[in-house]
Amino acid sequence: MMAAILPVLLAVLATMVHAALLFALAPGLMGVVSKMRAWALGRRGAPVVQPYRQLYKLLRKTTLIPETATDAYPYWPLACFLSVSVAGLLIPSFVTGMVTAPLSDFITLIGLFALARAATMLGGLETGFSFGGAGAQREALFGVFAEGALLVTILTFALIAHATTVDGIAVAFRDGHIGISVSLAFALAATLAVALTETGRIPTDNPAGHLELAMVHEAMLLEYSGRYLLLFEYAAMLRLMVWMSLIGAVFLPFWMGRAGDVLSWPLGLALWVGKLGGMAVILPLFEISSAKMRVFRVPEFLGVAMLLGALAAVFLFVAERIGS
Amino acid sequence: MFGLPGAGMQVRLDPLSVLFLVLLAPQMVAGALAGEARSPTYWLFALGMVLAVVAASAFTLIFGFELMSAASWLLVLKGDQKPATLYVGIAIFSAACLVPALFLPASSLAFVLIVLGAGAKAGLAPLHSWLPKAHPAPPAGVSALMSGGMIKVALSVIIREGFMTLSAAQQPWWGGVLIAAGVASVFIGALRAMLETEMKVLLACSTVEHAGLIAVGLGLALRAKAMGDANLTALGLEGALLCALAHALYKPLLFIGAGEVKHATGTASLDWLGGLMRSMPRLSGLMLLAASGMAALPLGPGFAPEFLILHAALAAAGTGGIVARIGFSALLAVLGLSAALALGAAVKLMGVGFLGRPRSLQAAAAEEPRGLALAGMALLGGLMVPLALVPAEILRLMAPVVRELAPNAGYAPLGYAPLPLLGLGLVVAVAAGFVLHRFGVRGTRAAPGWMCGFGQPPVWLPFGDPATQPTATGLAEPVARAIGRGVLPGGADPAELFVLAPLYRVHLKGVRLAEKLRRATIRERLAFIFSALVLFLLTLGLLGGG
Repeated sequence: MMAAILPVLLAVLATMVHAALLFALAPGLMGVVSKMRAWALGRRGAPVVQPYRQLYKLLRKTTLIPETATDAYPYWPLACFLSVSVAGLLIPSFVTGMVTAPLSDFITLIGLFALARAATMLGGLETGFSFGGAGAQREALFGVFAEGALLVTILTFALIAHATTVDGIAVAFRDGHIGISVSLAFALAATLAVALTETGRIPTDNPAGHLELAMVHEAMLLEYSGRYLLLFEYAAMLRLMVWMSLIGAVFLPFWMGRAGDVLSWPLGLALWVGKLGGMAVILPLFEISSAKMRVFRVPEFLGVAMLLGALAAVFLFVAERIGS
Repeated sequence: MFGLPGAGMQVRLDPLSVLFLVLLAPQMVAGALAGEARSPTYWLFALGMVLAVVAASAFTLIFGFELMSAASWLLVLKGDQKPATLYVGIAIFSAACLVPALFLPASSLAFVLIVLGAGAKAGLAPLHSWLPKAHPAPPAGVSALMSGGMIKVALSVIIREGFMTLSAAQQPWWGGVLIAAGVASVFIGALRAMLETEMKVLLACSTVEHAGLIAVGLGLALRAKAMGDANLTALGLEGALLCALAHALYKPLLFIGAGEVKHATGTASLDWLGGLMRSMPRLSGLMLLAASGMAALPLGPGFAPEFLILHAALAAAGTGGIVARIGFSALLAVLGLSAALALGAAVKLMGVGFLGRPRSLQAAAAEEPRGLALAGMALLGGLMVPLALVPAEILRLMAPVVRELAPNAGYAPLGYAPLPLLGLGLVVAVAAGFVLHRFGVRGTRAAPGWMCGFGQPPVWLPFGDPATQPTATGLAEPVARAIGRGVLPGGADPAELFVLAPLYRVHLKGVRLAEKLRRATIRERLAFIFSALVLFLLTLGLLGGG
């Protein structure tokens, strides 16, 4: 009896630890990225806890609702935050085999990211101000190419791992002897390009930009304030965390723990923190070494990602043909 | 009853026809409630669809199908004359393909004719360009039934013939034909829906996309069935049938809603609307639900079918020869692009039409529609809820249909479970609500918006200057610049340039020739008859001598 319940209990516990860490560390990760970026630029930068302070400040601010907004105004930040949170709960971080593992299908994740994008775009169009529309129209353009590129890239994972859930892919890549393949390198490049676009980093968008004309993600939030803005900002922090965990789980799943084996958790945890830290260093270095693109260069950037994703699959087909 | 002498009409109720009757019933009720209940032509149209779905003999099928075509032509004619001519031309073409195909023995020729005939009626590329013209023309209740019902009836003909009647001669490439036509429709439909600014035209373009999506699912299943892959057959069929069911609910709702908006404001052009969420909250809520289906968002009614079809495409890329596999990779890329375009179209529909500030006084003063139309929409919206939340149960109910179409098909379980996702979302929402309520400053205060720093609008513009708002055209501009202008030269559909325009030129030449023959002088006629006689005798002599 006990032996049957124990793995389930452990899986639930692992999921709860994962959820707690996800929600607690997301602002911290954003703080580390900002700090690294400031250092790389030769500035002192804001302290790492700045995002927490920012969120607390927004919590204590009065929420203003523009007079021209409709009744749906509060629901867009909520929808955006909830869909990113649910996506975060599905993607494994330090262990595989969480309770949410069977739900973590890659296509469901794409759907959840699309839902978050739709909610943000509708939030931008809500008040009827022109920068919101400008942000929404750019986001629509980026989304078209990002979704195509991501869907092609999934094909490579599905073919190599014979699974379409993130958990299944992580398990297959951790336990199987996949080795380094050209296909996975191409898939990694494609995924990174999509991740940079989805999280609104340079080269497609500048999270620290203050020029409204060049904004994409921030432009849609300009009319939001107080706790609704908090939800949007928290969702952006979670999104960065979610994408880093996703890349870590798919491309670097080595020594990730198993939910049923408590002893494997500490190594998995340490490794997860290490992965996040590593990415938090690489991301600002990449950002300061490249410039933000013009809006109409982004489709080319993501078009290359789509091509790489397709090439990854084609290489697999050719390799299989030669191998057999 | 009447019918062929000695044979009469033959109808049957097998799982497939029951599924399509279930799919047609709610939208017929909703269309009737939307103001078509007293129109005899509408009921003839509905009768034709029912007959075509339950037909057990070729004659009954053709009778029902043509009754549907003729009645819908009359209904389109009531709305607008110009698309009605194009529409009747397409209807004659599809009849000319279907009638011989139904009496041919099982062969590839019969299948190709069926796909041409029924595909033209279903709006599959490259014979789709009539659909965005004809579907928005009649009143909303009829548009709803045309988009939600008629294309399904046409697809049901493809399903019945392709999977059952002609299955003795099935070939893997039959599926390939359907996939190619389907993916072209998906892309063109989604792109045009993103670029259109008229609500009903936008919805009609989105119908082309969904017809294509169903065809892709059917094509994947047909190819897998011919190759003996039981699992993939089930996956493709489940996706296609569920997509047909979901589309039969949200598209009629959207069309009826668009009609009611037009009734209330005098226009269905998004650039003259805005802020309808304020004046028509109930209608807007239902439209938002349906638009989430159109955009295939998770927890909406449209996600499960899209999920199944994408999984079928993923699975198909692991089978077959290398060229086919590369083709399936491209198929996935195009499906991904189109899904995001469809999302953009739905966001544009809701964001520009229903959110923001009113762009005209009519939009500001709009009132909720009549109770009956709203009841019809609520019926469709209510039926979407089970589809959105328990798609796996509905798939289980549809299992007999899949088994009827492909007796050896397995049962592909659905890897998408909306209820646990909803539960996770609720847990996070409750936690977030607690934190915000416990630690945050409560309450909200209305304040003038920042509005990008534009000054106070003059008093005669109580909702601000509409020119300072994003428009539907503007929202689509980046997509138009990056993709649209390359694929749709000059805004025209490629099918119009490469299919309809050459056909029109051939038609013109034929008419001129006929006119020339009619006006021939007596000498030319005599010379023609004489040379024909000489030719005839010469042939006879040469053949007889040989």
